[in-house]
Amino acid sequence: MKIRLIIFCLSAGFIIAGCSDVRRDPGRVYVPDMGPSRAYETYDALDSNKFTQNVAEAGRKIFYNHLPVAGTVARGEDMPFPLAMDAPGDTTNYVASKQIESPIKSLDSVTMKEAERLYLINCGICHGAKLDGDGPLYKGGNGPFAAKPATLVGDAKYEEMPAGQMFYSVTYGKNLMGSYASQLTRVQRWEVIAYIKSKQAKTGATTSKPAAADSSAGK
Amino acid sequence: MFKLRQLTTITTPKKYLLLFVSFLFSASLFAQDGKALFTANCASCHSVTKKLTGPALAGVESRWPSREKLHDWVHNSSKVIQSGDEYAVNLFNEYNKTQMTAFPQLSAQDIDAILDYIKVEETKAAAATAAPVGETQTAADNGDQTLLYGILTLILAIVAFTLLYINANLKKMADDKEGIPATEPIPFWRNKAYITVFTLVLFLIGGYLITDGAVGLGRQQKYEPHQPIFFSHKVHPGVNQINCQYCHIGVYQGKQATIPTVNICMNCHMAINEYKGEKLFNAEGKEVDGTAEIQKLYKYAGFEPGKPWDPSKAKPIEWVRIHNLPDHVFFSHAQHVNAGRVQCQTCHGEVTSYNEMFQFAPLSMGWCINCHRTTKVQFESNGFYSMYEKYKEDIKNHKMDSVTVKDIGGAECQKCHY
Repeated sequence: MKIRLIIFCLSAGFIIAGCSDVRRDPGRVYVPDMGPSRAYETYDALDSNKFTQNVAEAGRKIFYNHLPVAGTVARGEDMPFPLAMDAPGDTTNYVASKQIESPIKSLDSVTMKEAERLYLINCGICHGAKLDGDGPLYKGGNGPFAAKPATLVGDAKYEEMPAGQMFYSVTYGKNLMGSYASQLTRVQRWEVIAYIKSKQAKTGATTSKPAAADSSAGK
Repeated sequence: MFKLRQLTTITTPKKYLLLFVSFLFSASLFAQDGKALFTANCASCHSVTKKLTGPALAGVESRWPSREKLHDWVHNSSKVIQSGDEYAVNLFNEYNKTQMTAFPQLSAQDIDAILDYIKVEETKAAAATAAPVGETQTAADNGDQTLLYGILTLILAIVAFTLLYINANLKKMADDKEGIPATEPIPFWRNKAYITVFTLVLFLIGGYLITDGAVGLGRQQKYEPHQPIFFSHKVHPGVNQINCQYCHIGVYQGKQATIPTVNICMNCHMAINEYKGEKLFNAEGKEVDGTAEIQKLYKYAGFEPGKPWDPSKAKPIEWVRIHNLPDHVFFSHAQHVNAGRVQCQTCHGEVTSYNEMFQFAPLSMGWCINCHRTTKVQFESNGFYSMYEKYKEDIKNHKMDSVTVKDIGGAECQKCHY
């Protein structure tokens, strides 16, 4: 009698202990009516029986290659930038980008706030919330990012860099900085650059004037 | 450095004295200034131990014939290349013909200070790899406490049974003493009171489990699938403070928050190729090697550290989707995050503490509606709700405390089902 009880209690204890609360399985769906979308949704795997990325098959299957229709301009992507990306080792377009003027000269208080928000999300992580090149990823050399990000305010090289060249670097990447064309639209990129320029204008007048003369050759 | 710069203006005898003094402190002094110079001029392309845009600088002196040659290179590298120096030309070609920025403003002493700093750092790095710091961290006590509770329950049950047994015996003894004849003991499986209680408990527990299971059919709360790469939200937005919207770029404008493409990962991981933070553990408590996970990313990206990356070779990572809302429900992230100003954590939990991502919210209709009933609309300086003038007026005149999402139609069927 007692032995049975002990066996029962022990086995129950082991069963409870054996249960894991990590759910690796999505579970079942009861009557999946209108559950999965019949239309093509973001991140759906394309059924190769129905869809094709090959233009030649366009009549027999649904042609879809994720690209916008030729000639259309997405919202925020007006303000075209005429220069293409340089081939590796070439700097022609990078140098030429100095001549391109920013279509956004100044920011009103609303766009300034928005530009600051975009800067803090996308740039501040490396270039620092104070634009001092010391964001949380670099942390004065103790962070995981090994290369020092550019000091946007306080370094003559970047204070003098024309907006067009900054746009080139943000769009196509420069050195260890990647391209931000996928994260920021053209308008947003110009706004962020205008934000940086306005910050430089605010503090730049007092700092780094003596260093300005000797770094012009360094570009 | 400071002293050396002054040297040129100081008269000769003093100069020698100063030179002697500065020699005494030279190593540390140079290294101090060398660090500042290195961070200001070199660190954006070079690291001492890692290959970045330019080569790793450890052992740079041993690679060049003399410091003078190195001075020339730093002052104007293209001149050295044009002079046909074999090592310089090879170096230039190896790094994809990326020209090193010229630093004519750095004096010979400046460069020497940087070189000394590199030497100091180099020996430090060598010492660090030779004697890895004793790992004192114990396996994370991320407490699977079910066993503990099980044992506790068992002990309590045994104690309860023992007490019942003692009680019955005592009663029997008392009855014997008072001369009440002992009734034939009924075994507990035939005792009606026991059977009733047992059936009732079974009915309650069974009923609860069945109802709960039936309600949960098709819902995936706590779903935590294995992902192709062990991506830790604890490390990325947690320790490294990367904003959610850095990667989930669609959350402000679109229905989908969007999963970052490989190029967004590579924005940082072009330079970050190893994981050196706290130990990582998956949900089962198994240790995960962060550096190996970064290598997996490189495989998807078609990237080899040290070589320039060609994004056209990248393949998308097939992440397993966690939040699956049925098609008959409309949900837009932009409406909630941008217009409604809801924090990510409200629906996704403390993501900055998750090593593995899981579904925090049940995503049931009751859960949606409850939130719509209680959440106050953020009217303040919010252009999206500018048309609700009457409500704003009422709040101003203290006729209403606040307006909930339900008040502006957040509980209407066709708001989400159409």
